[in-house]
Amino acid sequence: MTAVLDRPQAPPRLQRVRTRWAWGLGALAVLGWSLAGAGAFAGDVVNPAGAGQFGRFASAALSPALDGEFLRVLTDSVLVTVAYATLGAALAVLLGAVGAVAVARTTWGRRRLGWTLSRGALAVPRGLHEAVWGLLLVNLLGLDPWVGVLAIGVPYGAVTAKVFADLLDEVPRGGYEALLAGGVGRVPAALYGLLPPASGGLLSYSFYRLECAVRSAVVLGLIGAGGLGYQLLLSFSSLRWEQVWSCVYALALLCLLADVGGRAVRRRVAAPRSSGDRLRRDPALTTAVLGTLAAVAWSWWYLAISPATLVADRTGEQLRYVLTAAWPPDVDAPLLSAVAVAAVDTVQMSVIAIAVATAGAVLLAGVAARPARASAGRRLAGTVVRLALLLLRAVPPPVWALVLLFVLLPGILPGALALGVYTLGVLGRLAAEATEELDPRPRAALTALGAGPVGGWLYAVLPAATGPVLAFALYRWEVAIRDTVLVGLLGAGGLGALLASRVAAFDWGAVTTVLVALVLLTAAVDLVSARARAALRS
Amino acid sequence: MALVGPSGAGKSTLLGLVNGSVPPTAGTVEVLGTDPTALRGRAQRELRARVGTVHQHLELVGQLRVVHNVNAGRLSSWPAWRAAWSLVRPQGVPEVLAALEGVGLADRVFERTERLSGGQRQRVALARLLVQQPELVLADEPASALDPVLAERALALLAGLAADRGGALVASLHDPALALRHCTRVVGLVEGRVVLDAPAAALTVGDLADFYGAPR
Repeated sequence: MTAVLDRPQAPPRLQRVRTRWAWGLGALAVLGWSLAGAGAFAGDVVNPAGAGQFGRFASAALSPALDGEFLRVLTDSVLVTVAYATLGAALAVLLGAVGAVAVARTTWGRRRLGWTLSRGALAVPRGLHEAVWGLLLVNLLGLDPWVGVLAIGVPYGAVTAKVFADLLDEVPRGGYEALLAGGVGRVPAALYGLLPPASGGLLSYSFYRLECAVRSAVVLGLIGAGGLGYQLLLSFSSLRWEQVWSCVYALALLCLLADVGGRAVRRRVAAPRSSGDRLRRDPALTTAVLGTLAAVAWSWWYLAISPATLVADRTGEQLRYVLTAAWPPDVDAPLLSAVAVAAVDTVQMSVIAIAVATAGAVLLAGVAARPARASAGRRLAGTVVRLALLLLRAVPPPVWALVLLFVLLPGILPGALALGVYTLGVLGRLAAEATEELDPRPRAALTALGAGPVGGWLYAVLPAATGPVLAFALYRWEVAIRDTVLVGLLGAGGLGALLASRVAAFDWGAVTTVLVALVLLTAAVDLVSARARAALRS
Repeated sequence: MALVGPSGAGKSTLLGLVNGSVPPTAGTVEVLGTDPTALRGRAQRELRARVGTVHQHLELVGQLRVVHNVNAGRLSSWPAWRAAWSLVRPQGVPEVLAALEGVGLADRVFERTERLSGGQRQRVALARLLVQQPELVLADEPASALDPVLAERALALLAGLAADRGGALVASLHDPALALRHCTRVVGLVEGRVVLDAPAAALTVGDLADFYGAPR
C-alpha cells in the first residue's frame, strides 16, 4: 500500500460505459418519439365528459352482481374458459413434445443448416398472437370450439417446442453418450439418459403454460370464442358495470388459482421428497398430473369437440380457397404505406406501454415485496398493492382500453396505456420478487449509519435491482409487441386494427402482407431486446 | 477495545446491539449516553450517524462505483436530492479521494465495486467510515481479508479515526497479536457471556490463543 501512496498521481477521471449510455439515450429518444407520435404533447387527450361514466364504473366495484341467474351464467363462462385453457395447453404440450424432437440440437447434431431452418420455421407460429390465430381460424372452421383450442395450442406449441428442446439440449451429455457408446439405440438412450434429468423442467414448464393458457382463453373469449372474456365484453357493451366487476373478480380468482396451483407444482418439482427403498410417487404431483388428464377428458366432453370438423370437406375447401387467395401477397403502394404507418403505431404503443409499466413497477416494487421483518401497516400496504397488481394483470388489455376510453380521446394513447397498465401488473410482481431476492445487508448497513429511507433506497436497492428489472422489462417488451396486436384487433389502431379490417373484407392477399409484416416486426423487436439485454449484462 | 472469542460467541450480535441493527430482547443498551431503542426518526438517525460500523465488506453494493459506496457514509447528513444528484454527478470527490488515499485505493475511485478483490473492497468499506467520521467505531473482523501489512495499517487508521473524535474503537479480531498491539482493553466472549475483561498490557498472545480453539 505504501508504494501506491508514495507515488503522486493525478486523480482518475470518471468514465461512463459508452454502450450502456448509448442504449439509455437511445431508449429515451425512442420514448420521446413514441409519446409525440401518440399525441401526448399535442394537448387534448383527456375527455372530461367521460368522468361521470368512469365514476359510475368505478363505484360499481363495491357492488358486483351476485344474483342467482347471473352467477349461473358466470359459472358456465368460467367452465368454458377453463375447458379451452386445458385443451389448448394439452395440445401445446403434445405439439411441443413432438416439435422439440424436431428442433433439438441433439437430433440434428452437427447439421447446423437443418437445425437453423427448423428453428426458423417456429418463428412464424410464435410471432402471431393467439387472437390472430383465432381470427384466421374462425374464417377456416367457422364458429367451432376447435378455433379456441387450436388458437391456443398452435402458438403455444411452437414456444413449448423451443423451450422443451432447449431443456433437453442443456442436460449434461455424459449419461446419454455413455449409453450410445454402449451400443444403445438413439431413442432408448434419450429415454434413459436425457429425459429423466430434464423431466422436472419439462413438467414445470407444462404447468406454467397451463397458467398462461387461462389468460389466453379469456382473450379469445373477447374475440368471440365464448367464456369469461365474451361475457365480460357483453356486460361491458350493455353498460352493466356490476356484472363487469363480477366477471373481473371471477377472472382474478381464476388467475390466482392457476398461479398458486402452478407455483405449488413447480415448487414440488424443484424440491422432490425422498422416496427411500420403495417405489413411491409424490402424491401431490401424481394428483396434479392425473387431475389434468381428467380435466382434458372433461373439457373434450364439455366443449363437445368432434375431430370430424377438422377433416370435413367444407374445411378443406375453405382452406384451399383461402390459401389460393392469400398468395401472392398484395404489394401495391397504398397497402404498403398503410402497413408502414400501422407498424410505427404498433411500435410506439408498445414503447409507451413498457415505459409506463417499468416506471410503475420500479416505484411499487419496494412496497409489493415481502420484507423479512415489517410492521402491521407495512404488511397491509404490501397486501393491498399485491392484490391491485393481481387485478391489473387479470383483466385483459383490451378491456382496460375500453375503460380508459371513458376518460381519454380515441387514438393510440388509450391502447398504449391499457397495455401499460396490464404489463404493470406482470412487471410489478416480477420486480417485487427481484427485490425480495436482494441481499439485505447493504441496506441494513446504510440504516445503521443513519441514512434516511430515500438515501438507503437510492444507494442500496436501486443500483442492485436496476439490472434484473430492466432485463424483465425488455423481455416483457417482446411480449407487449404481440399484445399490441391484440389491443389493435379490438380497435385501438396499429397492425392489429389493419389486420382485423382486411380479414373482415376477405382481402386475403393483404392479410398475408400484414402477417408477414407482423412476424418481421416481432422478430426485429426480439433481436433489439436481446442486444439491449446483452449490453446490460456487460 | 478488542472483542475476542470463538465464532458463534456473540461478537457480531454485540456490535449489532450497539449500532442499533439488532434490537435487545432483554435489558437496555446505552450508546454515547443515550438509549438507541428510545429514539425515533431524526434523533435516531443523528445518533446512528455518530456510530460507524465496518463489516466484512458485505455491506457494499457491487453495482455502484467506489465513489458512491464511499459517499454512502455521508447519507445521514445529505438531503435526499443531493444523494440522488450525486449518483449522476459524484459530489464531494476531494474528500472521497482523501479517504481512499488513506487506504491506498485512490486510483480506483471510479471503478465498479464488484470489479475489486475482497481485500480492496474491505478497504473501500474503511474509506466509507473515514468519510462518515463517527465518534464510536465498530469493526467486525476488519482485518480478515487483508494481508498482515494492510491489516496493521487498517487497524491504525480505525484507532486513529476514533481517537480524532475523542471516541473509541470496538473491534472483533481473530488475530491475538493484532488485538494486543492496537487495543488497550480486551474483552473475551464465550456463548454470549463476558469471560475476560482485562487491559491489553496484562495479557500475552498465549492467554488469548485459548479463545480461538474449541469453545470451553
